[in-house]
Amino acid sequence: MNETKLHSRLREACPSGVGDLDTSAKDPFVVVEAAALVEAMVFLRDDPACAMEMLHLVTATEREAAIEVAYHLCSYTHHHSLTLKVVCPRPEGADQEWSPSVPSVASVYPSADWHEREQYDLLGVRFDGHPDPRRILLPEEWIGHPLRKQYVYPTSSGDIPLELDATPIYERPEGWTDPEHAPRAAGTPLVQPPNAPSARPHAGGKAPPPKPKGEGDEPATKPKPKPKGDGGAAPKGEGGDDMAAKIAAIKAAKAKKKKEGDG
Amino acid sequence: MGLLNNAFPDNALTRTVDEAIGWGRKSSVWPMTFGIACCAIEMMAVYAATFDLDRFGAGVPRATPRQSDLIIVPGTVNAKMAVRVKRLYDQMAEPRYVIAMGACVCGGGPYVKWGYNTVKGVHKIIPVDIFVPGCPPRPEALIDGILKLREKIGRNDVFRRRQEAKEQMSAAYEA
Ligand code: SF4
Repeated sequence: MNETKLHSRLREACPSGVGDLDTSAKDPFVVVEAAALVEAMVFLRDDPACAMEMLHLVTATEREAAIEVAYHLCSYTHHHSLTLKVVCPRPEGADQEWSPSVPSVASVYPSADWHEREQYDLLGVRFDGHPDPRRILLPEEWIGHPLRKQYVYPTSSGDIPLELDATPIYERPEGWTDPEHAPRAAGTPLVQPPNAPSARPHAGGKAPPPKPKGEGDEPATKPKPKPKGDGGAAPKGEGGDDMAAKIAAIKAAKAKKKKEGDG
Repeated sequence: MGLLNNAFPDNALTRTVDEAIGWGRKSSVWPMTFGIACCAIEMMAVYAATFDLDRFGAGVPRATPRQSDLIIVPGTVNAKMAVRVKRLYDQMAEPRYVIAMGACVCGGGPYVKWGYNTVKGVHKIIPVDIFVPGCPPRPEALIDGILKLREKIGRNDVFRRRQEAKEQMSAAYEA
């Protein structure tokens, strides 16, 4: 069966909550209401004509207006596949702490268990009824969900420093305390040349706020570790400005070329 | 050797004994069976027949940190793993040596800019003797690192007084 037939069959079985089929995407998908998700999954698994034996991927995407959770199903018996999507619209005035919630399908497909934990860990999607709703990749005490657009990069995790210019933990003086770091704005790299705002294009999200000038990454009180190995340190000082100018020039040249190519 | 460590003056006898001990140590550097990420694949190639680390006496990966002299850290150390790496290192008996293998453990590698979870170099966690850069390093590079480590181990002062030896060396260097 192709996706169109699968979709009409699914719609017959559970008429409420199953949306239209979007065939414009490379992987055609059906948008399903969160409330009808488990029912639709059970039908797709148990119906002999669909026989979706495997849920091979659960992913989530953060967009400006919503967080989308996608379920990729496929069938060994009939060699067909279908993608279901649950769209959780962002409520008006929701802050970055907002996390959508979707019913868990781990009871239908056991393989969803770890995938859902991963989506919780990295994007903060809560799965109601999940048997073991913990983080899976990051440490248990981690704060925030790193793949969110508004995520603030940490400078350390417990005792473990996460910055390039951090003092090695075995060289810390007696009574060492975590130096006060200003939390970084979303999308700011951990180490960047002084005064060069991030040039990272922000897919879908808002552009990152430019960093206030003169606010270096390293506090003045922190002793600088000896450079033991060449870790590809970012260009510092005057070199950084030169670099930024060069990069801008190269980018402009590329954009021009592309325009000419299009026209 | 605790009490006897660096307790003797530098003379022909202690130097010979030190050299003998150094030769013994460097000829049987037992690494720990330990791999984290993609670099570990290359490290396994070094242990296996084609490159054969056993030629240098380091081909006996031990299953426990308590039996090993060397920890090769091959692969990305993230925040969760760093705690384990530190604990393994703490469990090793002195003298212990560390090789940082790959760009990731030398300073962050591909994750240096956007890695929210990567420790930018394992030398932030444990003191490193040899850095082997590359992503991943060729097996020859790791073998070179181990040869460098062998040289370093062979130069260690065990019984000789460390300060005197240091002064002598610097004097010889200046002369
Ligand atoms: S240095 Fe390269 S090959 Fe080695 S662990 Fe890092 S990413 Fe993998």
